[in-house]
Amino acid sequence: MIIISPYSKALLSGKQNPKNYPYWKELIAMIDEPIVQVGIEGEEQLVSDFRKNLPITELRKLIQECRTWISCDSFFQHLGWDEGKKGIVLWGVSDPLIYGHPENINLLADRKHLAENQFLWWEFVDHQNERFVKPKIVLEHLKE
Amino acid sequence: MNKVLCSVATRGRYFTTLPLVLNAIINQTRPVDKLVIFDDNDEPQDMRSEMIYQYFFQMLDIKGIAWEWLFADKKGQHHIHQRANMMGYDWVWRVDDDAIPEPNVLEMLYYYTEDCVGAVGGSVLTPPYMPDTSKVTGLINNIDSEPNIQWGVIKEEKQVEHLHCTFLYRAGVCDFNLGLSRVAHREETLFTYGLKQKGYQILAVPNAVTWHMKNPEGGIRSETKKEMYEHDEQIFRNILQYRDRTIVVLNCGLGDHLVFSHVLPSIPNAEVFTCYPEVVPGKSIAEAQHLFGDIDHWNVYKKMDQWKWKDSLENAYRKLYL
Repeated sequence: MIIISPYSKALLSGKQNPKNYPYWKELIAMIDEPIVQVGIEGEEQLVSDFRKNLPITELRKLIQECRTWISCDSFFQHLGWDEGKKGIVLWGVSDPLIYGHPENINLLADRKHLAENQFLWWEFVDHQNERFVKPKIVLEHLKE
Repeated sequence: MNKVLCSVATRGRYFTTLPLVLNAIINQTRPVDKLVIFDDNDEPQDMRSEMIYQYFFQMLDIKGIAWEWLFADKKGQHHIHQRANMMGYDWVWRVDDDAIPEPNVLEMLYYYTEDCVGAVGGSVLTPPYMPDTSKVTGLINNIDSEPNIQWGVIKEEKQVEHLHCTFLYRAGVCDFNLGLSRVAHREETLFTYGLKQKGYQILAVPNAVTWHMKNPEGGIRSETKKEMYEHDEQIFRNILQYRDRTIVVLNCGLGDHLVFSHVLPSIPNAEVFTCYPEVVPGKSIAEAQHLFGDIDHWNVYKKMDQWKWKDSLENAYRKLYL
């Protein structure tokens, strides 16, 4: 079983969070394993098994049960790391050298897409699909 | 050579003590690298039209000293000092607008700026009150029972824990507490003690005399509201109460808490204020705000921005708290 945590925290402005991976549907269609989506109420459901608003203790248990996990840059990548379970993090505008953990597989299309200032609100950064790696690349790493 | 910024905050003293202060700064034996004047007057004037100031500005230009006249935002001198603190200089010499340094003061203070030193102050004399401070310890624990060491003639170098009024300090290391009221009561005590808590030495040194011509008119601290002083005094006392603890304020996201949880075991005697007690146990953020006024100087994102950080978030926490 694979856990996916597709979304980073919603922005107050209502704009799409620039850290959100844009190709989840394509990626999910390519994965041949049971998938559990975790997230919160209001987020788009991408697979049949969507577990919303789990307390952190339940998330920890779930991580221990999974083969691996895939997440955008959200709290979940830190939780997976904290649990000692290696996963895949899909980066776009935030810097994996600052916010990531070398124990994970950190996939970034190109450092040229990183936000100039890593420490301001993400409200000021536009979402752009080309900042992220394509699903095929994620799949290659998922098979490792 | 390290760059020294001289910062003067002024209010209501255009034509009394401020010209004396500027003249004294211009004529230091160790020139400042830049002079910045923060004008906090309710009705600021363009001083370029005043003859005496025209001379000052020309003298600065002739001596090759950069200078800038900035208009402050009337939120209190702690906000002004924080601006100076973050202007990118190695050291800041803060001089009050009624404190007249003798010509050798900066040279003497600068002489002591070793790597282990956070701030250096000399005597700040206000005649006729000049107590004998030779036995003053300058320890924060004795702040209620002894005069400030700078009030008297300092005859030998001494490590203390706090300074007041005017001194030279290492910039960008410690923040001024912006939670204080406009009167900013105890701001310099809190600031220099903060440097001490960061592990730097605070020195009171001889042969660096500033004459404090206390002027009842004007001044950056001209507010008289008792409640403001009481508010600031309470913050000061609260901070003192926690002086043996490492205060940790996690006003940030869940992921940040998870990363910080790996740093916490290395922090000696931590007192934690937290948003997610299920991840990092501790007291509430509201309590931290109530106790310490300003909690922004524990904002790891603000710090990473200031530090132009390229390393990991975990190491940023280590730098902030260890």
